[in-house]
Amino acid sequence: MTDTTEQARIRVHGLEKAFGDHKVLRGIDFESARGTSTVLLGPSGSGKTTVLRSLNVLETPDRGVIGIDDVEVDFSRLPPGKAGRKQSGRLRAQSGMVFQSHNLFPHRTVLENIIEGPVIAQKREYDEAVADAEALLDQVGLGDRANAYPSQLSGGQQQRVGIARALALKPRVVLFDEPTSALDPELVGEVLAVIKDLAAEGWTTVIVTHEIRFAEQVADQVLFLDSGVIVEQGTSAQVIGDPREERTRRFLKRILDPG
Amino acid sequence: MGHVLRRVVGLLVLVMVMFVPVGAAAAQGAEQQPVVRVGTEGTYPPFSFHDPSTQELTGYDIEVIKAIAAKAGWRLEFVETQWDAIFPALDASRIDVIANQVSDNEERKAKYGLSTTYTYSHGVIVRRKGDDRIKTLADLRGKTTAQSATSNWAKVAKDAGANVEAVEGFAQAAALLQQGRVDAIVNDNIAVLDYLASTGSQDVEIAGAAGNESSEQVLAFRKSDQTRLDQADQAIAALKADGTLNGISQKYFKANVSVPDGGSADLSGGRGHRSTWEVVGNTAWPMFIGLVKVTIPLTALSFAIGLVLALFVALARISSYKVLAGLARAFISIIRGTPLLLQLFIVFYGLPQIGLKFDPFTAAVIAFSLNVAGYAAEVVRSAILAVPRGQFEAAATVGLDYSQTLRRIILPQAARTAVPPLSNTLISLLKDTSLGSVVLLTELFRESQLAAAESNEFLALYSFAGLYYWVICVGLSAAQKRLENRLSRYVIA
Repeated sequence: MTDTTEQARIRVHGLEKAFGDHKVLRGIDFESARGTSTVLLGPSGSGKTTVLRSLNVLETPDRGVIGIDDVEVDFSRLPPGKAGRKQSGRLRAQSGMVFQSHNLFPHRTVLENIIEGPVIAQKREYDEAVADAEALLDQVGLGDRANAYPSQLSGGQQQRVGIARALALKPRVVLFDEPTSALDPELVGEVLAVIKDLAAEGWTTVIVTHEIRFAEQVADQVLFLDSGVIVEQGTSAQVIGDPREERTRRFLKRILDPG
Repeated sequence: MGHVLRRVVGLLVLVMVMFVPVGAAAAQGAEQQPVVRVGTEGTYPPFSFHDPSTQELTGYDIEVIKAIAAKAGWRLEFVETQWDAIFPALDASRIDVIANQVSDNEERKAKYGLSTTYTYSHGVIVRRKGDDRIKTLADLRGKTTAQSATSNWAKVAKDAGANVEAVEGFAQAAALLQQGRVDAIVNDNIAVLDYLASTGSQDVEIAGAAGNESSEQVLAFRKSDQTRLDQADQAIAALKADGTLNGISQKYFKANVSVPDGGSADLSGGRGHRSTWEVVGNTAWPMFIGLVKVTIPLTALSFAIGLVLALFVALARISSYKVLAGLARAFISIIRGTPLLLQLFIVFYGLPQIGLKFDPFTAAVIAFSLNVAGYAAEVVRSAILAVPRGQFEAAATVGLDYSQTLRRIILPQAARTAVPPLSNTLISLLKDTSLGSVVLLTELFRESQLAAAESNEFLALYSFAGLYYWVICVGLSAAQKRLENRLSRYVIA
């Protein structure tokens, strides 16, 4: 393992991505230190979700470099075919992803969902993976639902299982893609509480969210994106509490004071 | 299932016993009598065949040679031999005489010792009873006749100016004639007499001779075996004189075929005529065997292979490699755009011309599994595409590779969508295997066809075969329902 104390845990430079003619990312640069939470804010279509998905290589950027600890991929020089997929796979393995619509495997129990990655992809011992999974379920408050199917859980519980599934991979970074947007309002709190605990425990997280109050509490760093570029970045006190850019102010006003 | 298996094994044993030469059974008379070994097919009714109820070798030729042996003082030993091997067996002295409707011709006369004639046959025209328009070959001009495509009689009918419909045997021709779909049949009088005698049919009759062609059937000995030939000729003359030959002939044909013009048949009561229920009862078991030994294995094997192929075709079809996707699309288009029967014919009759020769079962498995693949590929493809995109992404983020994702995450979910349409494919396939009958597969439907040809009980037998298919399909539908329930157990309604 290389010396990670000197370099940031997440390093993103010159990220560009287009879908056809539409340029979604037009040069994104940022870094996240180990143990910090980075929140991406911005109107829909600003590119924040694309940045997050690029970190997990669910989108392949056209240009730019993404590094997470000792794995670094320069997408302008990504070889085609198998060699490229291997590089992408290594980078992907550095992070765990929590989806907006949880994407749990409906035909697998809660426990099976969680141990799928560790046992099948990471080839860890089954017993060890189960023990870890049970501990994670306790941590997210679902110790008694290990054998339930996802369809038997509430939306908030499903999302907490999604978080446990991401953590079970023992990733360097946990990515959250609007983790509460699909939930009924009364279920949002339980999920945000779990994420806050993780941040407090020292997990490095990157979060796309519209929950401004939550972002204020959890973020060490806030990035405000619009039209594929980072418009403003800083601590939550700076970006949310005292935004300098007109576009940031307009966005926050709209979201905090709708109508 | 165990019960069925025991019966199948029992049947196999029975079949094996049937092929054991029945020489011992035929050994009659004193030990010191000279043994004469008789070559005969044993599979050529009504001349040489095994009685279905007793399994004993019998038939017109068998009874004739037995009568000759009794007169000549021989002890007989029957050796059942395929027709192609029967003259070589005589040449090699493995048999002494052939009793199997050997036709007299110049070539044979030069090489073998041929006896006097014990069967005379000639071409006849068969018409619906009382149809006076048809009396001679000349009356066939512009009429339609039903003939076996490869037979000499098809040529005779064509030369007489008739339109010839190709059929698969005399019974089928007779059914068409009876139903008024054709006007006449030209055939060998013995085949006609056998049909009339065995079915007792009153609906068709012999109108008259078809030209002057006739043939005479004789026993064949080695040229050097003059003694036995002389004994046989004397015996035949005596048997003709004392009416024994006439008796045997009447028993099988209701006419005397041992003289040049045996006249028409007296059809009061057919030989061994069976009732509809007896026919169905006797055929139910062979049909069941055809179902269990051919129809079901053919269906299961073709479906299993077809599904695996379908999966690969579907994956190729949705792959980002354009060539692969194009090939898959072309395959699906060809399979769905051509008749299944044609595909079967290409595999069975066409491929041997480029050196790919398969036995009927293999050919059918190949054709049917490719057909299943063509149809199921589209089902599998749309089922895979119906699995939410997020499932692929979630599988990727937990680190599964392409094949793990398919096997563990996508296909189990796609299965739920695919089971109902795939069940339809399976049920269609089960019924489509009846097409195997045209590539010489003795499956369920073919058994009913064979029995119908023999007995004329088309309605009863085909209905009964339909019942078998229907019962299996009902079973499959029930299994489909259970599978669907199982696969949706994790979905809360």
